[in-house]
Formats: sequence, structure tokens, C-alpha cells
Amino acid sequence: MSDVVIETRNLSKVYRDFWGRQKVRALKALDLEVRRGEIFGLLGPNGSGKTTTMKLLLGLLFPTSGEALVLGKPATDVTKNERIGYLPEESYLYRFLNAEETLDFYGRLFDMPAHRRRRRAAELIDLVGLSGAKRRQLREYSKGMTRRLGLAQTLINDPELVMLDEPTSGLDPIGTREMKDLILDLKAQGKTVLLSSHQLADVEDVCDRIAILHLGELKELGRVDSLLKVQDELAIRCTGLNEAARQEISDVIRRHNGTLLAMESPTMTLEELFLKIVAESEAHPGRRVVGSHGS
Amino acid sequence: MVLETEPIPFWPWLTGTAHEWWQVLLGLALLGLGLGLVVRAVRYGPLDAVRTVSRGVWAAIVDLARISPRRVLALAWLARREALHRWVLMAFVLFSLLLLFGAWFLDELSNDPSRLYLAFVLEMSRGLLLLLALLLSVASIPADLAQRTIYTVVTKPVRASELVLGRLLGFWMVGTAMLVMFGIVGYVVVMRGLTHAHEILPQHVSNLSESSGDAGLTGRTETTRRHHHTFTFDGQGRGRTEPTQGHWHAVQVEGSGSSAKYTVGSPQGWLQARVPIWGKLHFKDRSGANAEKGVSVGEEWAYRSYIEGGTLATAIWRFDGLRAAEFPQGLPLELTIRVFRTYKGDIVSAVQGGLRLRNPETGVTSAERTFPAHEFTTDSLLIPTKLFDADGQPLELFRDLVTPSGAVEIELQCITPSQYFGMAQPDLYVRASDRSFTLNFVKCYLGVWLQMLVLTAVGVLFSTFLNLPVALMATIGTLLGGYRLDYIRELAAGRMVGGGPIEQIVRLFTGMNMTTKFEEGTQRTVMTMADDALRWLFQRLTHVLPDFGALSDTSFVADGFDIPAVRMLEHSVATLAFVVPVFVASYLLFRTREVAR
Repeated sequence: MSDVVIETRNLSKVYRDFWGRQKVRALKALDLEVRRGEIFGLLGPNGSGKTTTMKLLLGLLFPTSGEALVLGKPATDVTKNERIGYLPEESYLYRFLNAEETLDFYGRLFDMPAHRRRRRAAELIDLVGLSGAKRRQLREYSKGMTRRLGLAQTLINDPELVMLDEPTSGLDPIGTREMKDLILDLKAQGKTVLLSSHQLADVEDVCDRIAILHLGELKELGRVDSLLKVQDELAIRCTGLNEAARQEISDVIRRHNGTLLAMESPTMTLEELFLKIVAESEAHPGRRVVGSHGS
Repeated sequence: MVLETEPIPFWPWLTGTAHEWWQVLLGLALLGLGLGLVVRAVRYGPLDAVRTVSRGVWAAIVDLARISPRRVLALAWLARREALHRWVLMAFVLFSLLLLFGAWFLDELSNDPSRLYLAFVLEMSRGLLLLLALLLSVASIPADLAQRTIYTVVTKPVRASELVLGRLLGFWMVGTAMLVMFGIVGYVVVMRGLTHAHEILPQHVSNLSESSGDAGLTGRTETTRRHHHTFTFDGQGRGRTEPTQGHWHAVQVEGSGSSAKYTVGSPQGWLQARVPIWGKLHFKDRSGANAEKGVSVGEEWAYRSYIEGGTLATAIWRFDGLRAAEFPQGLPLELTIRVFRTYKGDIVSAVQGGLRLRNPETGVTSAERTFPAHEFTTDSLLIPTKLFDADGQPLELFRDLVTPSGAVEIELQCITPSQYFGMAQPDLYVRASDRSFTLNFVKCYLGVWLQMLVLTAVGVLFSTFLNLPVALMATIGTLLGGYRLDYIRELAAGRMVGGGPIEQIVRLFTGMNMTTKFEEGTQRTVMTMADDALRWLFQRLTHVLPDFGALSDTSFVADGFDIPAVRMLEHSVATLAFVVPVFVASYLLFRTREVAR
């Protein structure tokens, strides 16, 4: 079994008008790999190309050039979807159905037999806490409830790869916490998660690796902990020093037998990193900044 | 009943149609492939074009072969739920309201109320069902795209073929259920609308013997639903009314004098499903020479030909395959004649006609039977098994006038000089038997059902690649074009008086007479070239547009004729032959569409 779950090679997307003239170059030569069992985050401001990337991976859009492979198959191959779960940004569900009907319908799309659909739907409704509202039409659901049911439909087929577009959008703090726990739980089950989000704190909390896109270009790619490390600074945390030693801290720690607790590069927040990259990208369009912050 | 085109037996029809079908299909497939190659080649080069198109064709074959019934049924179920959510209840309420209140405005003084009721109910069912099919089929995919609910469907292992087929099946199921409801409600409305009873009051009954010396009674019924009947009782107290408004009643009297009890039965003679045997019509002109047609009396609609009265002009129907065992009582004929009067004359008296039977092999001819021609009604004549020739010699119908193979000619002439009879082939037929009206009603709804299938397929086809307003217009255009296919065929063949569409528009704006020729010159050349191009387009259109008009059997039921099984079989095969390629085309178009665009 290949270790790479998602692979894009030189993936590009150009939106054209009715006459075939180029309107927007939404994605420029994206090379990306998402490995099995990791939580991978796509970050970027509006119009950066992260939604386009996700749509290309799902086969909702066709690439202008390049290639996207998902679970070893071309992104336009519908059979790959048998092992994928997708949660769109706004849970686009049929409002005239209730929760049970919704999950049963999506289960049928996976060719699941009736008894398995019933069992799985009951499990998922319980998991997302909608047992008390499972027979209410979705038109009567709040945004948070719809979101939770959207997550349930994502997991109906027990997917290997879960793609989440803005998973915490519309959720209250508790819902957000539950969603993040669930994402970590999916990782613990060995599933691969690809998510895109504007909630930088959420991404920071759950993602193993991230890619930052801006204006359709990949600007940063790597492990979150590495990316957030500030390479040219040193922070020393220590304890047990007297007042005198503190005065001369920079050169006498070892001489004064102090206990060195940590010596490492300090980190910035993901938000600080993100804003810095966007600012650099706007100052120097087209320049790739991968590797300058981490690996 | 008007039958402008002669019915074709199944196998000759199938052979001709299948040949044309293959040609059209092959042409469209090649056109599609060619377009795909050109567009791809322009954008990405010829090698990529060949690779992509060949991969696409293979993927299409795989997609169509691996359709999952469970997924298709799930999508059909969703389409059905969506339809119920959107339009269906509204359509049913509208249908019920129109039936409830529309029936108030039907003319109770009509010559044939049953025709009126049936035409009203059937046309209303058809109109509403097609409207529903149009809205459902056209709006569904665009709405799904606009609301992005389709994202959660196409990101499941759903093939485009399953998505299209699921929708089609869903809407077809909804349409079928609606049609069943329309049919049941319509049937009840027709039955209740036509059922009535009359009362007979003793003061309106008199003894026949007072006037004619016969035993029995005569009189008239009381007026119900703005009509009444005259009637006659025989000596046993039984009888029937004279036909009024296309129906009659059985009447019975028990007792006599002031204690007499009169009973009037339910209406008879309408809501029939007559099974006619049609003959072949040819003519003899006023000098007695054979002619393909009669004369024209100047009507624009050239459906009927006319024969001149008091001359040798004759309309001759040849019937084949008549068997004596099937007609033990004689040959029941039904005749509808149009009369064209060249002078007013005695307007009250009917123009007289004469009818003879002739053996086409031996030439033996029966004596002429005269009859008064009643306009706008169908006369029934029973040709008895025992007849006479012009010399008074006795003839046996099936021995002397019908050939061993069952052929006979029926000659019809107009006797009144300078008046004309008009007829078309279906105007005279042998009434072989009667079938169940209810079954015929159901068969008519089957025709409406086939139209619904076709329209839904067209709507879904356009919705796979056009946005809602454009898809709606295109589907309506196809529907109207399908109903006026005969007109488009005339345009395509260049048989229209006044030239092609462009020429007619020029005539319209310049106020030019339809028969005046244009002067030679550039204007005429450009106009002719444009019309030739349009004619070419119309010719192609006639091969791909669904013939909605031909699928409609309303006139059969309304006029009281059984819908022939072969006609239904042909229509069913034609519908299938149309719907399957449209489904494949819908699938291909949807497959090439970017859902998230």
C-alpha cells in the first residue's frame, strides 16, 4: 500500500470565460504530497486556491494542466470516492429530508446494504449528537446541527481519506473543540485527513503538516512544529538562579551551577507565520518561500 | 375521425424507422466525436485530443456498463422526494380545481357532450402533466448546482450515468403517479358529468294508434341537462329514445293509463371504443374515369375530396379480409359525409346520397340504397346479408358481393345534382366490433405517459449543460416543434406557399402578396440562400425532434374509436428509441461538465 494518499504534479487551473479567454489563474503548478495517516492542512486567504485544490482533488473541477492522484487514482475517477469522505464548507444537504433519510440516502450511494446503512446511520447520529432530532426535516436544523449532520454523512462509508473544507465553520466553541477532537480521533484510527481552514488556531492544534497557498501558488509546506520554529533566535528557560546570577545570565549559567531546563528556538504562533508569509508574498509576488521558515 | 396519415403495419414501420434511427444516431455520434476532437485539439493539440477522446469513449462504455441499480434507485428516490417537495401537490390541486370549475363552462348544448367532456379531461391531463414534467426535469439539475447540494452527491462513487438515469426514473415515477391520479379523477368526472336520467310524465305520452294506427306509445321525456328525447314504445311496452346529443336511452313502461310507470335507462351510445376496418379510397370523376382524388371545393385543408352530385363521380372504398362469420347480421357501416352546397335550395331537406356494393372480381353490384346525408354526424347503416341487384334479382352479401378473399367495394355517389359530397378515407368504415371504453381511456393515458417520458428526457438533457432559463426555453421549443413537426416538415420540403421563412418574413414586412414572385437580383439570391440553409437545418431537425403530436391519441377516445394495439406498440418502440439515445447524450454532456464551475 502506497504511503502517499494524495499527490499533485504541476497541478494548474485556469478559469476561462464563455469564449475560452483566461479569466483567473486559480492554481499554478502545485506539487503536493499528503501521506497516509497524517492531518494535512491547506491554508490561505480568500482566492488563494485552496478550495480550487480541494475541488480538483474531488473531481468537481477538471485541471487545466498537471495531474492529481487521490488514493492512487486520477481525481476524475469516481471509484476513488468509495474510500473518501468529504465535508463541504456549508454541508450542502437536502433540506426536505430528515437526518435518518439523509444518511440512508448517502449510504445507498455507497451501495451499502440496508442493514448496514441502518446500523451506520444510527451510530453516526449518536456520534454527532443528533439522536433527539433525527426525524426532523433539515430545514428546521440550526447551522451547527446541519454541520454535525454534514460530518456524519462524511463518515458514512468509514473513509480512509477525509477531506474537510472549513470543518469548524459555523460551530460554537464546544462544537469546535468536539470537531478537533474528532479529527484527532480519525488520525488515531489511521485515517488521513486533509482540511482547509481559516481558523489558524484550529489548524495549529490538529495539523501535522500544512501548505500555505497565496494567489494560487504554494508558499510554504512542512511540519507545523518546524514551520513555527524561529531559527535565528535562542531562548533559554532556567530556574534556581539568584539575583546576581540573573544579572549575568547570558554568560554565567554554567559557571554558577544553574539548572538548564531548556535551550531551543522560540516559536511564533501560526497566525504570526501566516500573516508574515502573506505580507512577504504580496511584497514579492511569485517568489517561493518554502524552506525559509522550516522544513 | 380525422386521420391524416394512413396507419402503417408494424413490421414495415419498424424496418423503415430502424433504418432512419441508425443513420441519425451514427450521424450524431460522429458529429459529437468530431466536435470533441476539434475543441480539444485547438486547446491542447491533436495528440492530446485523440488520447482524451478515446479515453473518454472507453470510460463512457465502462460507466454505462457498470450502472449500480441501488444508486440509481437512491437517486430516483431523491428526485421523487424533491418533486413532491416542489411542484407535484400544486399540480394536483390545480388539476382538481380546473376540473371542478372548468366543467361548469362546457357547452351542455353541444351536439356531442361526451366528446367535449373527454377532450376537456384528456387535454387538461396532458397539459398539466407535460407542464409538471417540464418544470421538474428542467429545474432539477440547475437547482442542485445552484444550491451546491450536488457536491455531496458527486463526491460519492456516483457515476454521471447513474445521476442522469436516477433523475429520469424519479421524475418518470412521479409523472406516472400523477397520471394515474389524473386518470382516476378524470374518469370519475367524465362519468359523473355525462350520467343523467330523464323523467317521463304521463301527460307527455300518447297512443301511437291515434296518429298512425300502430299499437304502442309515443312521447317525449322531460328536459334534463338542457335536452330531451322523443321515444316510442312497442306493443310490449319497451322502446328506446331517438338519439339526441349523440346518445339515447332505453325506455320501458309497466301498467297503463294513470297507473303506468315509466322507466328511462342510463345514456347509451357514447363513451364507445369502436373497432373500425378501414378501406382504401379512390375516385371516379364526373365522366366515370378512374381518378386518384375528387375535386377541390377551395378549402385550404385538402383532407377531403369532393364528388359532384348528379354525375358519374363516385367515391369507392375497397375493403379486404371481411369474413362472413364475423358479420352474421350483415355489414355494419358508419359514414360521415361533408356536404358542399353550390346553391341554397331546400335547406331543410338533406342532400341525397346513393350507396352500392360491388364485387371487385365479378362486377356484381347491388341495387342503389339511397340515404339522406346528415352533416356533422355519423350515420350508421347495416348492409343486410340478403340484397337485390338493380334488376331486382336476390343477392347474398358474402356469396355474391364479397370475394372469397373478403374483398368488396362500396360505391358512394351524391344524387342531388350540383351539390357535392366530401369524404376522406376514414369517413366510411366497417364497424367490426366494440371494445371496452375504460380500457380505451387507459390506453389514451398511456399515450400521454409516453409524451411525459419523452419530455422529461428532453428536459433533463438540456439541464445537463444549459442554465435554467436557457434549458427551459430549449425544452419548450422542442415541445412546440414536436407538436408542429408536420409544419416543420413542410418548411423543410419547401412546400409552403410564399417561400421559406426568410422570404415569408420579407413578404410580411413589405406587404407583398404570397403568390407574387420576387424580381431576380441580389436580394432574392441572398434570401433564397438563407432559406436553403434554413431548410437544410429544418430537414435535420425533423429527424431528431420527437413527434409529440403523433403520440397523442386523444382524438381516438374523444371520437369513440378504439386505439389500435399496433399504434400503441409503434409509439412505445418510438419512445424507447428516442429516450435511450437522449439518456446517453445527457450522460455524456453531464460527464464533461465541471460541477463546481
